[in-house]
Amino acid sequence: MNTVAWLGSVAQHPRRVLLAVALATIIGLLLCIDPVTRTVRFHIDPSAEALLPVDDPGRAVLDQVRRTFGIDDPLIVAVRFEPSVYSTENLERIARLSAQFKQLPEVSEVFSLATAPNLLASGDEIDVTSFTDQAARDPASVQTFAAQILANPLYRSTLVSDDGTTAAFALSTTAALTPKQYVALDFDGQVRRAVQEVGGADAVYLTGTLPVRAATSGALDRTLRFTVPAVFAVIAVLLLVTFRSPMAAASALLAVAIALIWTVASAVLLGIEFNLVSAIVPPLVITIGLSYTIHLLAAHFLSRSVLPDVRDAQRADWVMKRISTGLTLSATTTVIGFLSLLLNPLPAVRGFAVLASLGTLYVGALTHLFLPALLNATGCNRETPPIATRVFGRFAELLTGFDLRWRRWIIGASALLIVGGFISASRIEGGADFINSFDEDTPVRQNFEAVANAFNGANFVTVLIDGKAPDALTNPALIDAVDSFQDWLRAQPEVGAAVSFVDQLKLTNLVLHNNEPLYFGVPADGAAVKQILLFASSEALNRVIDPQYRTAVISLRLNVDGSTAIGAFLRRAEARAAELPSPIDARFTGSAVLATRAVEALAGGHLASIAIAVVAIGALLSLMFTSIKAGLIATVPNIVPIAVYFGTLGALGIPLNPTTSLIACIVLGIAVNDTVHFLARFNADAREQGTEAGAVRSALGSVLRPITLATVCLCLGFLVFAGSELNNQRQFGGLAAWTLFVAWIVDMTLTPALGSRLRIVTLWDLLRLDLGKSPQHTIPLLSGLSMRQARLFALMSRLEKHPAGTRIIQEGDLSRDIYVVVDGAVEATIERNEERLVLSTMTRGAVMGEAGYFGQRRTASVDTTSPVRLLRFNSQDLERLRERYPSIAATVFRNLNRIQAERIARMTALLR
Amino acid sequence: MNAGRWLCLGLLAANLSAHADAATQKVLDCMRANIPPSLQIKEVELASVDRSGAERLLKGKVYVSRDSGLIRVLLRISKPNDLDGAAYLMREGGAGKKDDIFLYLPALQRVRKISGGSADAPLLGTDFSYNDMKQLQAAFGDSQTSLDKPTTIEQRPVHVLQLQPAAGSGARYSRVRTYVDQKTCVALKAEFFEGNSLRKELSAPADSLKRADGYWYLSDLLMRDVKENTSTRLKVVGVVGSEQELPSRLFDPTSFYRGN
Repeated sequence: MNTVAWLGSVAQHPRRVLLAVALATIIGLLLCIDPVTRTVRFHIDPSAEALLPVDDPGRAVLDQVRRTFGIDDPLIVAVRFEPSVYSTENLERIARLSAQFKQLPEVSEVFSLATAPNLLASGDEIDVTSFTDQAARDPASVQTFAAQILANPLYRSTLVSDDGTTAAFALSTTAALTPKQYVALDFDGQVRRAVQEVGGADAVYLTGTLPVRAATSGALDRTLRFTVPAVFAVIAVLLLVTFRSPMAAASALLAVAIALIWTVASAVLLGIEFNLVSAIVPPLVITIGLSYTIHLLAAHFLSRSVLPDVRDAQRADWVMKRISTGLTLSATTTVIGFLSLLLNPLPAVRGFAVLASLGTLYVGALTHLFLPALLNATGCNRETPPIATRVFGRFAELLTGFDLRWRRWIIGASALLIVGGFISASRIEGGADFINSFDEDTPVRQNFEAVANAFNGANFVTVLIDGKAPDALTNPALIDAVDSFQDWLRAQPEVGAAVSFVDQLKLTNLVLHNNEPLYFGVPADGAAVKQILLFASSEALNRVIDPQYRTAVISLRLNVDGSTAIGAFLRRAEARAAELPSPIDARFTGSAVLATRAVEALAGGHLASIAIAVVAIGALLSLMFTSIKAGLIATVPNIVPIAVYFGTLGALGIPLNPTTSLIACIVLGIAVNDTVHFLARFNADAREQGTEAGAVRSALGSVLRPITLATVCLCLGFLVFAGSELNNQRQFGGLAAWTLFVAWIVDMTLTPALGSRLRIVTLWDLLRLDLGKSPQHTIPLLSGLSMRQARLFALMSRLEKHPAGTRIIQEGDLSRDIYVVVDGAVEATIERNEERLVLSTMTRGAVMGEAGYFGQRRTASVDTTSPVRLLRFNSQDLERLRERYPSIAATVFRNLNRIQAERIARMTALLR
Repeated sequence: MNAGRWLCLGLLAANLSAHADAATQKVLDCMRANIPPSLQIKEVELASVDRSGAERLLKGKVYVSRDSGLIRVLLRISKPNDLDGAAYLMREGGAGKKDDIFLYLPALQRVRKISGGSADAPLLGTDFSYNDMKQLQAAFGDSQTSLDKPTTIEQRPVHVLQLQPAAGSGARYSRVRTYVDQKTCVALKAEFFEGNSLRKELSAPADSLKRADGYWYLSDLLMRDVKENTSTRLKVVGVVGSEQELPSRLFDPTSFYRGN
């Protein structure tokens, strides 16, 4: 039983299919939702780390920093006081706030004017109390604080803004505080309530990796909550309007919803988290799924009008035969498009590829198996013609005329689009906005920008300095090198602040020497360095140098955002770091660094993925159409939208970022569906009608409506992303919709233009074709061919069925077709003096009409005496065969000659 | 008496709470009875383990004496070699006076009196801080002290003391819970809370309880910083004596220059 027959038989047992799908869906739901806790089992991870491989060097450095120093990017609370921070009242408020912040859950340390020691030397005594303590003890000392802070490299632009109006509180949190917990604990609210309670503040801003991640997570969550039902709603309306059958629309939506459940369940089973990239999968699966269902519904309702009086099972079988080739090819090419992303080095992209592929397979399978069963089970049998059928029919007529008349112009214009698109694409730059991904009026961005403006940057980068051996960083020569590197970093325009243990060492050395300026430096003796560090040891110092004095960190605050600017800085800084003396090395990490590296890795991998996808899809189409030429022709229409897409990016100055770099592969995988649907239909019609031009007309007439509806469905689905809070998601939706629209135009013009001269044979046809037992041995014309070659020849010809009593050839006609009897019987007769003389009876393998092939009139009539199947071909078919399959053509010509020679020999013998 | 006991209990009992009921007072009195007038520790080891699991070992001597009821403590480091001679001297100030802390760094040949917040800082990079102990003292002095339901540690019955500093006392910890062995009146465990979160935990195995000259002490204590994921183990290597008078020059910061 071949696949189509199997699918047909499956569709004939709707209850079994429905039961199996229901069971699988219940299991899927249990995987998605914990029935006991009623919580979802899948996770949303908005961090940049989630995009990077587990063994990524940058991630390993970040892990090492966390492990060694217990730090992550801090939470920055900036509180503005009017007119200035420097008053005893406001400093007292800062002390109270610091104490309150310290009580917040998972806060391990608060660095502020209340906790940072203001080292003051007086004779043999060193005062190590904080600014707020000193202010409380001696209010007059407050007047000196501004100057002291400006002179202190550790505190300048860190504890208080340069204009003195805003105090910063750097809250170190434990790893246990996740974005989810941050939201659940209402951390932001707790901070703001504390500020309100203490009073005196003019404004409060809260930023850092955690709030940004929490905001991203929330935005992703809301995007998913919005896009999934919105895509469903938009497409439900479209299906209702199109098919005018609520039951059909509900069935299609149910099939897609089930595919979505299975996809999310697969994510849970495979441990794939939803991140900035894979969050696209659910709406993508819905969109693709609904486009598939449109093709099936179109075929289903067509079957109602074409086969009004047959049983459901027969109708299901007919529907399967009509759509299975296109649908299978579509799903396969879409999956290839997604799987090409497996080459990407980022696990997040590979996770996306796996999930999107599974989702596509699920919707493909459900469209094949579940939806026909459901439609039959629910008795979905609207008899009214689908809406706009006539309009699409008329449009298809016009389009056919246009495509055939302007064939060369269409091909030329497409070539220009490809060239122009790729030229424009050369202007594309890789890069992604981080905070600018949010709208200007979103609190998370406003808070970030307020802190960045007050403190000259709010993007944190950590430089891990590794001395490779315990006590290495007490070596004065190496410390001097680190100090010099830090000075270089401070001089970079992107760096708002840079602090390290070296600052603390120098300051402590100064204070221990009664503030003699000469001692603001690194002690010349390693033992002195170690003793100063030991004296200065504190939780704060432990966060910048480890107790073994082997590794340390330089904390940078960058005043730029986005991967382009940060990437440029990192390249310069890493080149400078390479100049550090052995054994020291410096490695950069932090959320901004990881996000930058993730974006760069994505941009680097996308071209290879697209190339692989194009080649893989081309190869698949070549295999399916059993010809490289046909495969290439089917691939070309899909290169045009890709070129237009990249051209659009270049023209509009849109950078390649984690989402835009995925669009090409996604669109390639989806857009090829239209090509495949057209070519599959065209192939069948061309074989049936024997004329390519006619087949273009009928194929367009057949697929224009479902392809257009599917494209509308896909575009609307992607445009739903316009409702996302994140710019990159909106960009993704708009660009994907635009590219699919271009793909639709191309498939309605270029594909027919290219196909109008093409006779294709699909692998599907090849496998399905029945030429009887051993045709190469039982049909002389096919002698010497393999089974595959015999079938190819048959498919390049036309296989006709005729009932008994049909006249195949009329004596005296001018016709150049040759016939081969595949099965059944025919007899050749002539009429002489109104008398019908039977010349011969021919059965399987007999060749007739070859005289016509050589330009003669038909010398006899041929009629069927039983139901027959005939292979019919003419000189054009043989010429096409010669071009596409020369070895098959050579064998056929040889056999034809042999048959002719034998016939002449027999005739000669008769004459003798 | 020993440094471990001093570090854990010595200061606790120096200024007993006025807010304890009779039963609580009895426990506190019993604890104070473990403090001798003076002692000398031959050697202590402070093994600090950082977040990454790396260990740093400090060795030194601790001298403790009581002068008019006020405690004086000197910690002199002998190992590692590059810290040899570094010294930390703490002198209790008594009622209304602040404690004095002096530091000597031999490489700089400087003795400095430290005022202010360093008492909250890790003591020479360990997980112990002077104020951890002072906090307990303050809790005894200014806070509500109460006895909770007794429990057991390693099958030994223990009193559970809850110490709650008075609001505005400046105490770092919001609450300290101490588990005092009923037989020896030595705290086998103490928990230091910041808000509702456990910040540090001091613990000692029961078999580290030792007795010298009739005074109980712990020879092995572990201070664990729960939030920072670091710990320091303090081991008492040997006790020289607990009743002999220590020379006062040991607790004179100017003597550091002379290398005593």
